[in-house]
Amino acid sequence: METKRLDTNQIMRQVIYALVLGVGAQIYFFGSSVIVQIILASITAIIAEAVFLQIRGVKIKPAIMDGSAILTAILLAISIPSIAPWWVVVLGVLFAIIFGKQIFGGLGNNPFNPAMLGYAFLLISYPVQMTQWPGEFISFSQGIDVIFGLNNVDGLTGATRLDDVKTQLMLGTQIRDINLESVSQLWINVGFLLGGIYLLLRRIIFWQIPFSLLLGLILMSAALFFIDPSQFTSPYFHLANGATMLAAFFIATDPVSASTTPRGRVIYGFFIGTLIVIIRVFGGYPDAVAFAVLLMNITVPLIDFYTQPKVFGK
Amino acid sequence: MSEFAFKGGLKLENPYPADEIDLIRIPLPDKVILPLQQRIGEQAKPIVGIGEHVLTGQVVATIDDERCAPVHASISGNVVAIDEQVMPHQSGLKALCITIESDGKDDWVDTSIGCTEHYELCTPETIYNKIRVSGIVGMGGAGFPTHTKVQLAEGCHTLLVNATECEPGITCDASLILAYSTKIIRGAEVLFHISRAERAIIAIEDDKPEAIALLKKYCNNDRISIEEIPTKYTSGAEKILVKSVLGIEIPSGKFASDVGVLCLNVGTVVAIFDAVVENRPLISRAVTVAGNAVKVPKNFQVRLGASYDYLLSFTDLEEGKHKVSMAGMMMGIELKGTNYSVTKNTNCIFVDMDEKSAPAKAKECIRCGLCNTVCPVDLLPQQLYWYSKGENIDKAVDYNLLDCIECGCCSYVCPSRIPLVNYYQFSKALYRQQVKEKEQTDKARSRFEFREMRLERNKRERAEMMEAKKKALKEKMASDKAQKDIIEAAVERVSSSKSDTEEQDGN
Amino acid sequence: MFDATSTLSLLALLFGLGLGYAAIRYRVEGNPLVDQIDAILPQTQCGQCDFPGCRPYAEAIASGEAEINQCPPGGQEGVDALAELLNIETMTLNEEHGEPEPKRVAVVDEDVCIGCTLCIQACPVDAFVGSSKVMTTVIAQECTGCDLCIPVCPVDCIEMVEIKPTVRNYIPDIAELAHV
Repeated sequence: METKRLDTNQIMRQVIYALVLGVGAQIYFFGSSVIVQIILASITAIIAEAVFLQIRGVKIKPAIMDGSAILTAILLAISIPSIAPWWVVVLGVLFAIIFGKQIFGGLGNNPFNPAMLGYAFLLISYPVQMTQWPGEFISFSQGIDVIFGLNNVDGLTGATRLDDVKTQLMLGTQIRDINLESVSQLWINVGFLLGGIYLLLRRIIFWQIPFSLLLGLILMSAALFFIDPSQFTSPYFHLANGATMLAAFFIATDPVSASTTPRGRVIYGFFIGTLIVIIRVFGGYPDAVAFAVLLMNITVPLIDFYTQPKVFGK
Repeated sequence: MSEFAFKGGLKLENPYPADEIDLIRIPLPDKVILPLQQRIGEQAKPIVGIGEHVLTGQVVATIDDERCAPVHASISGNVVAIDEQVMPHQSGLKALCITIESDGKDDWVDTSIGCTEHYELCTPETIYNKIRVSGIVGMGGAGFPTHTKVQLAEGCHTLLVNATECEPGITCDASLILAYSTKIIRGAEVLFHISRAERAIIAIEDDKPEAIALLKKYCNNDRISIEEIPTKYTSGAEKILVKSVLGIEIPSGKFASDVGVLCLNVGTVVAIFDAVVENRPLISRAVTVAGNAVKVPKNFQVRLGASYDYLLSFTDLEEGKHKVSMAGMMMGIELKGTNYSVTKNTNCIFVDMDEKSAPAKAKECIRCGLCNTVCPVDLLPQQLYWYSKGENIDKAVDYNLLDCIECGCCSYVCPSRIPLVNYYQFSKALYRQQVKEKEQTDKARSRFEFREMRLERNKRERAEMMEAKKKALKEKMASDKAQKDIIEAAVERVSSSKSDTEEQDGN
Repeated sequence: MFDATSTLSLLALLFGLGLGYAAIRYRVEGNPLVDQIDAILPQTQCGQCDFPGCRPYAEAIASGEAEINQCPPGGQEGVDALAELLNIETMTLNEEHGEPEPKRVAVVDEDVCIGCTLCIQACPVDAFVGSSKVMTTVIAQECTGCDLCIPVCPVDCIEMVEIKPTVRNYIPDIAELAHV
């Protein structure tokens, strides 16, 4: 097969296309308000990026056209609850673009995944808004109302299955008495999985990170599950809930902040997987992708240094 | 994986396929310009004067340096100039060249004296020397002096004839095989005679069935085998070829000769045959002319020193602004204009339409790691880029900068279109300069310190000498005084008796 | 309260001892400072710094008698490197001592030379070869381009020639490759 030649804009665009299925599932179950969030996030990202490029004295157009800012914005927008107030996503994107990316010198120079940095910032600062997910399908107008606070729309919110299970376990309920099923979460994850497979087939991402991340997640959750099935949920639950597939194929694979050596990628992905389970199970927040990814981002220089490939003839 | 596969590299179609890859012999050029600076070693010194008549194959410049190959007149005629001309090099710098105007006769020097087909009667030393005085260098593009290479590989066990093209789009080696397949086989036999190689392997890419068939047809020596290797770019790089064909990994910083392999390009083998058997020095070579401005890619057997313009006049070029580069799409060096001459390592001239091939502006590196996967020597190109860009040369060297073969695979796949190899060339050049400067400052320091020591020593010695002299003088004066006293006493006696005489004692 | 205070004090003491031990045990023996400074200096031995050579200047910097910005051949890069070594604020090159110039080499016009040997005595690195009343010449590889031979020559037969870049020592410009 002939070696293909990609370009950076194409990579960013393909990643955005691959998100369509997962986002579609979100829309199917919870309504189109996620689109509003995506639009809000994208506009904020472009403005923030343009202002900072101007300040840095870099040509604005080509840097914005690379699509990286919009990708960051979309990833953040689909990670936060689709009914979060408008200022949540705006603040998050501003934080992600300014402190996650531009302050380090723009695309390619950021040590942390900008979207996850924005997410972590929001989760710590606004835990209430960040954990109220729509409990049911929300129409477009209802979504607008909630996001912009036009009307007080009560009774729409609910917790995610991850959050719910966590609360129940804290109250002392046994796993077998908790409803673990969540059709919406399952299908959203399936959507992102299919998108991820598309990226793998198009060779936009390498197999190492998603594969080892899921492996780490399965092994860690399986270990806990075998120790005490009454206290810990099964690997399947971890795979089908939360942002697992989004993390495995779209977030951990952000090349800028991930490890770049083939062996390093395996280590990097594996530890994100295990950290996701550990933080989900033992941590204070319901989901763990952002923290797991950010923690592993810190270790990337070390991983890269120790996993250099053997050079020809050495 | 196939038998001869290697890690990394690029699978690329020939971007400029041609129905015919025959080697076209073109008429003699009216004028040739021969650069005296070769790839390695010092610049050769002209041994002919302006106005002098030279014969084809006559040595016009040479240098007393084992590593240097002499320069021969590639046509007969008059030397019209010995001056600085622009070199086909990215720097656009000038270097000394000899210009010869043709007399149209192509009169050769006497080629009857030499080893001829009875080369087996000549000692290996005679043949090494013949290769050296024939001015043969590596014809694959590297331009390393062949006699040195052959000598280094004296005790080698395998002769590897590199019949793979340097880069996609270049077909000059294939055309050479079609034209001179017997010379290649015979040339390998000459090399058997002067080395201890027991076998020869002619490695050729599997997309050249005609050339393979021809080689097989004329190969009647069972010590010579023809191996087909998969068509994949960088397979022709010496280190990669030795690894994929023989399974030997040449250690970092070493050469094929260090592992007992003599690896020569087909063009070089043909030149060795010409030099040893036909007594003709290297005065011409095969050059591919391709690119998107060239309607039909062609291969020419052309005299060295002929201008690019002359060569291009035999092709159909599309009208418009052209971009010319020496060597191909992967490792090519972009040149300004066509005012250059063909040198011993010009394997290809690419002429592209300027607007069609405007390079995309480079973007930031997103550390995607595609470059890692194509690097045939398993480097981490993005790390090298990072350190080269920051001029952190020591760190780049730590990341094995010096093992880079500058094949250009990383630049090709880079989605941000960063000219990675140019960065490595820059940091390699900077590294060489730093090493040289370090040597020079160390030398200056030790010479300064030695001088200080010498001056100090001189001062001390001088002081000691003065001391000794003073002492000697004192002693002398003391003894003088005793003598003086005697003299004075005598004078006294004399003067007392002879008071009208006055005497002076000078000493 | 007492427990906490004593525990922390004890810990502080223990760690302090540990650190103190490590500092002695794993002490890295560095070059004497003068050598380190001398290693940065360009070894031109030109004396533009007002010291009779690089080593004396290095000694003067080490003892605090001279500023780090008195070496034109080292250029601003040299000043910066010295500042980094000494861990002090960098300064701009003092132009009173001269401006950085491209590297040059002395060439003797051998027809004019009268063999006075004054240059031999002036050269800090013994790069001249010659003897009394015969023509003198320069070993180009040894010349540091310090200019000290120029003023002493009574017949002005020494010329400083800039070292031209050649194809061999050419360094490509990466500024041209820079991004959009």
